[in-house]
Amino acid sequence: MADIHLESLAHSYDPAATSPEYALKPLDMTWRNGETYALLGPSGCGKSTMLNIISGLIQPSHGRVLFDGDDVTGRGTAARNIAQVFQVPVIYRSMTVRQNLAFPLVCRRRQRAEIDRRVGDVAELLGLQRVLNRPAVALTADQKQLVSLGRALVRDDVSALLLDEPLTVIDPQLKFELRRKLKEVNQAFNITMVLVTHDQNEALTFARSIIVMNHGEIVQQGDPQTLFDNPRTEHVGYFIGSPAMNFLPAAQSADALGVLDGQLQVPMTSAMRGSDDLKIAFRPEHVNLGGEGHRVDARVKRIWFEGLDQVLELDSGGTRFRARLDDWRGTVGDAIELRVMDSHLRVFRDGELLEAR
Amino acid sequence: MKTVYLAIKYLAILLWSSFVLFPFLWAVTTSFKTANGVTGGATWIPWLQYEPSLQGWQSLFGGSGGTDITGPYFNSIIVTGSASLISIVLGTLAAYGLSRFTFKAGFIRNADITFFFISQRIMPPIVLAIPFFLLLRQLGLLDTLAGLILVYIALLLPIAVWVMVDFFNNVPRQLDEMAWLDGCTPMTTFYRVILPNSVPGLIVAGMFCLIFGWNDFFFAFTLTFTDTQLLPVAIVALNSSVTPWWSLSASALISVAPLILLAFVVERFLSRGGLAGAVR
Amino acid sequence: MSALTLQNLNLSVRDETWLDDISLHLEPGALYTLLGRTGAGKTSLIRAIAGLETLDAGSIEHGGVRWDGLAPWRRPVAMVYQQFINYPHLSVLDNVAFPLRRAGVAAAPAREQAWQTIQRVGLAAMADRRPGALSGGQQQRVAIARALTKDAPVLLLDEPLVNLDYKLREQMREDLVELLEGRQSTIVIYASTEPSEALQMSARLLVMEEGRVVQEGPPRQVFDAPASVGAARVVNDPPVNILSMTLDTDAAEVESLGWFSLETLLGVERLGLVGDQGLPPGQYYLGLRASDLALAPEGRPAVVTLTEVSGSETVTHLDMAGCHLVLHERAVVNHPVGSQIHIRPRLSTVFVFDRNGRRVHVAQPGQRADSRQ
Repeated sequence: MADIHLESLAHSYDPAATSPEYALKPLDMTWRNGETYALLGPSGCGKSTMLNIISGLIQPSHGRVLFDGDDVTGRGTAARNIAQVFQVPVIYRSMTVRQNLAFPLVCRRRQRAEIDRRVGDVAELLGLQRVLNRPAVALTADQKQLVSLGRALVRDDVSALLLDEPLTVIDPQLKFELRRKLKEVNQAFNITMVLVTHDQNEALTFARSIIVMNHGEIVQQGDPQTLFDNPRTEHVGYFIGSPAMNFLPAAQSADALGVLDGQLQVPMTSAMRGSDDLKIAFRPEHVNLGGEGHRVDARVKRIWFEGLDQVLELDSGGTRFRARLDDWRGTVGDAIELRVMDSHLRVFRDGELLEAR
Repeated sequence: MKTVYLAIKYLAILLWSSFVLFPFLWAVTTSFKTANGVTGGATWIPWLQYEPSLQGWQSLFGGSGGTDITGPYFNSIIVTGSASLISIVLGTLAAYGLSRFTFKAGFIRNADITFFFISQRIMPPIVLAIPFFLLLRQLGLLDTLAGLILVYIALLLPIAVWVMVDFFNNVPRQLDEMAWLDGCTPMTTFYRVILPNSVPGLIVAGMFCLIFGWNDFFFAFTLTFTDTQLLPVAIVALNSSVTPWWSLSASALISVAPLILLAFVVERFLSRGGLAGAVR
Repeated sequence: MSALTLQNLNLSVRDETWLDDISLHLEPGALYTLLGRTGAGKTSLIRAIAGLETLDAGSIEHGGVRWDGLAPWRRPVAMVYQQFINYPHLSVLDNVAFPLRRAGVAAAPAREQAWQTIQRVGLAAMADRRPGALSGGQQQRVAIARALTKDAPVLLLDEPLVNLDYKLREQMREDLVELLEGRQSTIVIYASTEPSEALQMSARLLVMEEGRVVQEGPPRQVFDAPASVGAARVVNDPPVNILSMTLDTDAAEVESLGWFSLETLLGVERLGLVGDQGLPPGQYYLGLRASDLALAPEGRPAVVTLTEVSGSETVTHLDMAGCHLVLHERAVVNHPVGSQIHIRPRLSTVFVFDRNGRRVHVAQPGQRADSRQ
């Protein structure tokens, strides 16, 4: 168990170059013991580089990695007591589930009784008791992934658990269960967990703190609600939320900023002046059929039924945007009157959120 | 720490390469020596330590005290080349069948057939020599190139099948299925989709066949007399009561030359990558 | 305009039933989604249609032509795999032109046609590259383009987007729907494990469970009235709560909640489960959507075991008398773990299933809070 500090950390795969291209741009960060974190971003955003630096598979070209103030930058993976669960379940095919779970302790020459106790505890937590004596190869994909996880948990000296897209191979219905087990493990063992994923939904529901990455850079870090309500950049607004946030290029007048032929307007402030790239943004979830707010008239262009609700693609005066509605029934081509609360409107200048509006 | 590690690494590489290269160095110097040059202990530097001579090389091409190895050389190329080629063609076809289709004949299954091929190489060659001798005599093919080619195919085919079955088993089956759904019959699938993506496997199998075929002495010796001589037999025939180290060295160099050349070409080719991108 | 008719398809491998007596009639111009868990038989069914599996029994007929015994290369089907399968030795353009060339189209027109498809899937800049040099999403676009150029009347898509990044998947889903629009003579069969994907994309949903198609219908119909416990589970994310229940002649009691009477739990008697019009007494399962539970001060107490907050919604896991329940709220609410909250079902949809998991009843007591249904 440890706090993890990343101190002016950066990584370039070619540090000798005159202007090195960073896979990970310089950053400082602290990960608190017992917390849940998610590194979220598209393929190639640097999240795997970051994970590998923490696990010790990659030596960072700049900066230090500290575990509880202890510099581990030069140490290998084994010396860091990091446990990792990978995208594809890693099991020892020749062993039973029990032997698989016991293996890390057997390797460390622990007492028989202690091994049995730890394996029993972990199996109970993960619900693997009934399959303990089965060969590990005979398990389903999600059970195998639980065994990989269990092998990480039997050790009592684990500083942090790194989860590298561990839910990719799992059915949606089982994902839910596995996510629940992970959170229970987090609570039961008070262990720091870092989840790497490209799935925003997974990141938001799993972690208390989400680190959104893009092009080797941390774009924003925050809890799910902050990322959802106040994305710092257009990228975050696009990446968090499904469908993405609506970003509408705004027309400027002397005293107001408007979109959709002025149906949505915000007063002009000094922070907005002097840029051609101003956008008004709002979440599809924040568009309502009735109630308070700016009125917007639109026509339905497309409907995506999602069960509890539906996502509509709407057209208003040639501008397209989306809304998520749970209490509307109609067909493509219908005219529709919508409301957007003023408090849900955000202004982006040059791709970045204007905090105080 | 890092520099020490590097130093040890390079030292190890240096030691190993000198160990490997030493016989070559010895062969090269010896091939330019005469009887006088050989007897006086190990010497390395021409002109200073010994008087270089082309006698060893000349003796290989009809010069005094030797035989002309040009004929055997070309015989070896023809026999090894054609036997390898036929083995690869037949072996690849057989291997694809064994890898992709299920055969049933009584208790015999695919695995049994594959084992049958490999079992040919489990037997010591001496066991095969007499049957081969009798067979070839019956067919009137003793001491002929055609006879040798037949025998070599029997020896090389198992190697080709073995390597290619393993290779095809690692080519995703979905690639075949995709080709079927795109309108290829199994035969067109094989030559339009599987074969173009099997070049690395073909090269490995080909290398094995060429090396085994080229270096075989035993069958070349037992199944020929005077008309059809292969290179290994011709080289051995150079030997006499006084060992002619100079011509033996020269012939050794000449006989490994094609294989070394091949290794260089293939290495270049293999490093350009094989099946990348078939399946994520 | 020919329909595809499957009759009594059966397939078992090593004593395991992969397809269990499947009969379907599929019409052109519609996107059918096979929705089911891994191992439900989706891939087997797709492969059987393509001729890649040898059926134990059953027949497939398309436009009056029986496909029994027809080799895969003679069937008018195109397919996209879950893995990114392309021909590594051919350029993107030649990959896409490949099926046309095999069908006997000359090189120049085949390449011309392939070029147009490549443009439609947005890969024009990559036409000369080998598939190995492309990203995962681009590789799958090549595979889709190849399937589209073949222009087969039956298009099989076996979880084509499952290996892609989340946001890319979102984008590709929309692109795919657009690409398939206007193909009035094509029968598209799309396999998926994701409820939202299946509900969004398909015209008709085919729910698969243990090698059988347990329900077929428009997405909304399946969602509103799942035919079985399995169907209810597979179309709902977050998951539906399934509770066991005993019906007497005059009361319904929920066993899994420590024998609460259903009336107490739901606070209503108008479910129509008991009485003259009710169900025969016996053992049942009760299905309650996570979104059909709500916080209510007068409701029953439950202990919070876990909270999952996404940007605008909260899923809370609860323990009520030893039974695991899931509550889905459309707001960000951070219920502390271990705290007690009171919940009760909304007066909305309740599914009742018999002990074999088949739905016997959809109870919709009173008016729903919203106008849906």
